[in-house]
Amino acid sequence: MSKKAKPEGDMLQGTLDMLVLQTLVLGPAHGHSIAHAIERASSEILQVEHGSLYPALYRLEDRGWIASFWGTSENNRKAKYYRLTPAGRKQLAVETSRWERLVSGISRILRPAAGQTP
Amino acid sequence: MSWRRLFRRAKQDEESARDIQFYFDTETGDNIARGMPPAEAREAANRKFGNRIFIREEIYRMNSAIYLETIWQDVLYALRTMRKNPAFALTAVLTLALGIGGNTALFSVIRAVLLKPLEYRDPDRLVRLSLDNPLKNVQDMSLTLVHFEEIKAAARSFTGLGAFLRSADTVTLSGGGEPEAVKGARVSANFLDILGMQPILGRSFLLEEEAPAGSPVAMISSGLWKRRFGGDPQVGGKTATLNSMPYTIIGVLPPGFAFPFAGVDVWMTKPSEWSALAPRFWPYVTSLVGFGRLKPQVSLEQARAELSVLHSKYILDHPERVDAQAGIVLRMVWWKDQIVGNVRPMLWMLFGAVGFVLLIACANVASLLLARATSCSREFALRAALGAARGRLVRQLLAESMVLAVAGGTLGVLLASWSLSAIARVDALNLPGAGKIQLDGMVMGFTVALSIATGVLFGLFPSLQVSRPDLIDVLRESGVGAGRGSSRRGAFGFSMRGLLVVGQVALSIILLIGAVLLMKSFVRLNSVDPGFRSANLLTMKIALPPARYDTGQKKARFFEDLVGRVEILPGVRGAAAVMSLPTMALLQTNVDVEGQPPLEPREQPSYQFQSITPAYFRTMGIPLRRGREFTARDNSLGAPPIVIINESFARRFWPAYPTGLDPVGQHMGEGVDKIKSAEIVGIVADVHERGLAFNAAPEFYVPYVIHPPQTAYLAVRTERDPLRLSNAIRNQVQAIDRDQPVSDVKTMDEVLEATVGQRRLTMLLLGAFALVALLLAVVGIYGVIAYSVAQRTQELGIRRALGAQQGDILRLVLGQGLGPTLVGVVIGIGGAFGLTRVMEAQLFHVSATDPVTFVGVALLFAGVALLASFIPARRAARIDPMAVLRDG
Repeated sequence: MSKKAKPEGDMLQGTLDMLVLQTLVLGPAHGHSIAHAIERASSEILQVEHGSLYPALYRLEDRGWIASFWGTSENNRKAKYYRLTPAGRKQLAVETSRWERLVSGISRILRPAAGQTP
Repeated sequence: MSWRRLFRRAKQDEESARDIQFYFDTETGDNIARGMPPAEAREAANRKFGNRIFIREEIYRMNSAIYLETIWQDVLYALRTMRKNPAFALTAVLTLALGIGGNTALFSVIRAVLLKPLEYRDPDRLVRLSLDNPLKNVQDMSLTLVHFEEIKAAARSFTGLGAFLRSADTVTLSGGGEPEAVKGARVSANFLDILGMQPILGRSFLLEEEAPAGSPVAMISSGLWKRRFGGDPQVGGKTATLNSMPYTIIGVLPPGFAFPFAGVDVWMTKPSEWSALAPRFWPYVTSLVGFGRLKPQVSLEQARAELSVLHSKYILDHPERVDAQAGIVLRMVWWKDQIVGNVRPMLWMLFGAVGFVLLIACANVASLLLARATSCSREFALRAALGAARGRLVRQLLAESMVLAVAGGTLGVLLASWSLSAIARVDALNLPGAGKIQLDGMVMGFTVALSIATGVLFGLFPSLQVSRPDLIDVLRESGVGAGRGSSRRGAFGFSMRGLLVVGQVALSIILLIGAVLLMKSFVRLNSVDPGFRSANLLTMKIALPPARYDTGQKKARFFEDLVGRVEILPGVRGAAAVMSLPTMALLQTNVDVEGQPPLEPREQPSYQFQSITPAYFRTMGIPLRRGREFTARDNSLGAPPIVIINESFARRFWPAYPTGLDPVGQHMGEGVDKIKSAEIVGIVADVHERGLAFNAAPEFYVPYVIHPPQTAYLAVRTERDPLRLSNAIRNQVQAIDRDQPVSDVKTMDEVLEATVGQRRLTMLLLGAFALVALLLAVVGIYGVIAYSVAQRTQELGIRRALGAQQGDILRLVLGQGLGPTLVGVVIGIGGAFGLTRVMEAQLFHVSATDPVTFVGVALLFAGVALLASFIPARRAARIDPMAVLRDG
């Protein structure tokens, strides 16, 4: 069954990881707020199933880019908080620059420089 | 995935559940706050989140080593399946244990005996030197000292060349406790240099100690050192009384040192000296075997070429010598080949046989699994259709076979270690290096590899079967037909299980034929008349120390005295002393029969001779054919020389015997002792002096007084159990000479058994393997037929309903079983035709392609196969068509 889930997951994986890390730059947050933060920050363009966020969080924690702790939420309940680790901060820089290269590459293809039009 | 998490998965899973639950509660709470009714709020949260279980599973899976995880699942699944069907699991595991255990045991024997290099330095360069006479079809004869020394002085191919006395010398160790007869070896002083070994204590022989006047020194085994000298580190320089002479102990050899043969406790130098023979014989008797180390650049062929030149020169220089006879050539072989030469074919044959058994066992288990897998194919197809990966299904089946193989392997190792401790106790095997047999790391590695290979081998068939892609077909078939996977045809038009049966039958036929050939040989061998009555005959070896028994008279008197004392013991019917017992042929000598064309000494034929006390023939039960036995008067000093010959001797020189000129009354001379004109006074029946497997040869007997040997055997005919008399006889020996030990106390039956023991064991082992193979093959045939009948119940019922008679059904099913069996029989016969040739050396008076055996085994097998298919066939014939049609 794992294989079925892969295709979209793979495409989104790197991006989602980067977005999660970016969200946590501002400070520790729990899963629910990360999900909404990403959704809000992207002006609701990125509509993902919030559930798919959790495997990503898990993976990031496993790689040591984020760490988790149990804290108390705004509605006074026990919640799992995630925070960025120094390694995660470095990774974010790497991913951001990779992303920017990718975006600039793609946009050059989509909008060629004016001088090149015949 | 981290390993830590793998083992804390339950906790992790619970944490992620709580984490997700928090999301839900918060999201639902937010929705309610936005004004949704609670039910709708939960619904919206669900939509937003996606499949909750699915997400949790995904995280759970991230925590596991996927392969490990599923393999573990598969193993558990396999164990569960086995628990549901313990009979199947037990059969399979036992079958495999038998196969793997047998292979493990034999591999460890082969490793210890054939593969483990000798413990000498660079053992591959060591050679062994002796003589062959292709003209007389005699191999591996010994050399004389003169011959050896000439070779040694001239040969350039060796870094070192030495010699040893071919037969073990029985050495009496006395002083400081009971006198003890130990095995002694006489070797060249440089023997350790050639072998590249060091004593663990003290020094080796010096070259001057080899010279006739060299001081008496000895090296001892570490076993004797510990037993007799309490492991004294100061043993070097101590004196031991060997053969009543003081010897200085100069060194101790490493444990397990088995040069030139196993079990030696004392090494002396001066290899041509032989305490079993009086010194006057030494120059004439060929008693030495050479050994040496080839120079690094010299090949065996080059060294052979050089030696053959030297040998020709020797013949030219000494035409009169016994070892200069026409036809004699030097024989040089690698030491390691000679040492295992006689067991190598037997071991490989047995190894091949257990290999076959394992293959047959694999085929059986594969067949069982195949049957199961086919009946599960609908389940598998369904799972595949629902998205199970094909590899996953194959893995599951393979896991099952691996579990079986590992269980079989584990049990097999237990079986092997048990049987190895039994093998080590069987002296008859006569294995060089038997002490080194053990289940060491390499053997265990072999077993593990074998188990895995086995598991893959028999797991592959069912896996291939179910991993076929035509799922739709399987699913479309009705419930009854769903298991008809086996109806797929392979080569020869047989199902896969049918092919397995073909293979099993072929292999079992080969084993059976081999076993029957060996059994036939053994029966023929045992029905050979040894020439005497072996029952109720006690034998023992008495080696008189040359130092105290230095004259023929003393030796003769000792044995006369002993025989006289033993004869009158209660329970004794007769006693006699003899130079060597039957099967131990010791000495040959030239004979020169008067009235025959005169021959040069080196052209004279050389035959076995024995020196005996008067009652020997009566005691042994050797029939006297003509003339008379020796009397006490013949055995007294100064009596005219007389001999008794055997019938082969008579036929050799008087071809018309028993008619024509009567050999009794003729005269002959004997080479070694230059006895001229001894009268032949009697003819006795032939005795197989070299063992039952060898034809009786011409032989003659002289009175004990003419050749009083230093070492002789006492033979005692008893009324009842011979071994009960051994102490009484030992007491008589001690009564004559307190320091005289007795060794090798055995019944004559045991002596004979020792010569056939290896054959018996080989036969029993191969017989057991063949029997197991036959049983497995029968079970295999039965299984295939029974299964196919069960699968075809409906079809057979319909045939019956449409008018087929019981006989028709019976024939149909029997035919189905006989097909693969017959093909297997044909292939097996063909294989046996090629393979039994390798065991020709093990056979006795039976051809390796004995037609009776081949046909008999084929018929037997066909009969057994018929029987095995008959049971399910009859069940098929009795199918009630109405019942089938109702149920179907």
